[in-house]
Amino acid sequence: MADLAALTAAVEVGDRATAVAITQAAIDEGLEPTEVLDAMTVAMTEVGRRFACNEGVYVPEMLIAAHAMKEASALLEPLLAASGVKPEHTAVIGTVQGDLHDIGKNLVGMMLKGADFEVIDLGTNVAPAAFAAAATEHGADLIGISALLTTTMVGMRDAVSAVHAAAPGAKVMVGGAPVTDEFAAEIGADGFAKDAATAATVARQLLT
Amino acid sequence: MPRSHRERVALALAREEPDRCPMQISFTPEFADRLRSDLGVRGQLNVARGGEHNPHGGGNTYELERAIGSDLILTSVGWANNYYAGHGRYTDEWGVTWQEHPYETPFGTGHYTEMVGFPLAEDGAIDEYVPPDPQRPELYADAGRVIAEYGGEYWIVGVTVTTIFETAWALRGYERLLMDLVIEPELADRILEIPFRYHLAAAEKLAAMGVDMIWTGDDIGSQKGMLFHPDTWRRFFKPRMAELVRRVKAINPDLKVAYHTDGDVREVIPELIEIGIDVLNPVQPACMDPAELKRDYGDHLLFWGAIDEQHTLPFGSPADVRREIELRLRTIGAGGGLILGPTHHVQLDTPLENFWAMIETIRDTSY
Repeated sequence: MADLAALTAAVEVGDRATAVAITQAAIDEGLEPTEVLDAMTVAMTEVGRRFACNEGVYVPEMLIAAHAMKEASALLEPLLAASGVKPEHTAVIGTVQGDLHDIGKNLVGMMLKGADFEVIDLGTNVAPAAFAAAATEHGADLIGISALLTTTMVGMRDAVSAVHAAAPGAKVMVGGAPVTDEFAAEIGADGFAKDAATAATVARQLLT
Repeated sequence: MPRSHRERVALALAREEPDRCPMQISFTPEFADRLRSDLGVRGQLNVARGGEHNPHGGGNTYELERAIGSDLILTSVGWANNYYAGHGRYTDEWGVTWQEHPYETPFGTGHYTEMVGFPLAEDGAIDEYVPPDPQRPELYADAGRVIAEYGGEYWIVGVTVTTIFETAWALRGYERLLMDLVIEPELADRILEIPFRYHLAAAEKLAAMGVDMIWTGDDIGSQKGMLFHPDTWRRFFKPRMAELVRRVKAINPDLKVAYHTDGDVREVIPELIEIGIDVLNPVQPACMDPAELKRDYGDHLLFWGAIDEQHTLPFGSPADVRREIELRLRTIGAGGGLILGPTHHVQLDTPLENFWAMIETIRDTSY
């Protein structure tokens, strides 16, 4: 019997080999793919909580947990697709125009996937029009925009406006080192996440 | 009244109050151009000089630093000199590929140089990798000139920043290296040794040449805490940094060693003190309260930086800048132990009014 508690534990510590092995065993035994996936999202939620609460999880631990989940959940994807199961929400993410620094955005993407979002990652240096186009093309509920630099952060204002004009139903969440709650409010963003772990929580709150 | 800029810094670092707090200011190339024009307008500078300003040294004549009254002169040997070292796409001698990348500000277009290609990205690449040689005499020509021309008058800083972690991430890629630290520790050690040995050799050479201070370090903090676990730092970085401090102080026991890291690194500050770090830079006030640091560590640690460049300098008013500097002087400047400066090179997004408010407040305030 595949041990889903052990799968959760393996993802939490970033043990890729064990996570993949248990996932394969679970598939072979015919467990519901959603149940197996849930065991991994529980792990990512816990990793995010420990990161946010400073309980021994730092960026490397988040990265290796997310990579373990990515590899193990890839085994489930064909099954989930075949059964018509889709993630609850769709997010489009990217770094603001002019900004190539993407580790924060990548971590947000990993945490959102861990929170059952389909994530469309537009990469770095994304123009306002590209955010807006992707929001409508993918019918995204959430747009996440990241900036590391004070010089590029100011460009978030145009990106937020472009998305709101093109996709009035979508919520825009911003974050990154220089970004503050006040700045997010000033530029008309719907939400502000102070770090990658908080981003998943904020995203869920924005969509309920 | 101190007899020289150097004496002003020496007094402050001996925890005395000179006539004013010493300062160190650096600029991105485009801000330097703007400042050069402004100084020309003010008649304080001959603006005819051509060439491009590089904040990490490399041909810098320090005319701007001297014109504004900076007390420290920095001369750099190491991988960090490859920032702002070319246009378009270029590959440095370490094999790191860079791409020049524009950004817009109310004051014009600036450029960063960003890393886009990493020579050790593939696992086996390290077996074939030959790092540059830190013993080439030409690497130290600028430092020799700076010491000969400005030594005695200015506090000379030998710069070997991006000492271990940052150069290693340029070689390997950021996320890969961060993961290596946890899941491939032996490979991580091999990668980290490459920049460490290089910058250690450079720091020893600069110490022997007679600089007043070695500036070393890596960005190991984020806005909300350490980038990696303090135990990871203890395993990979603390022993290497301790060796560097020990070796440069063996060459000159009076040498000060400053450690640079962005972000909130309170978790390891006591251990930085333990391994002999004298000065912490840049003390980013948007994530660590300088007054708290002075209270907790001021007896053992000196501070350099502490002028906020995330909010105050680019987005505040001149009055905000003055208020912040007066606050810093009151809270961490009093009794000495502080060199004031912005927490990064001043960038094009900082209004000149704010820049001059910073300089004039420092120049005109006696603690």
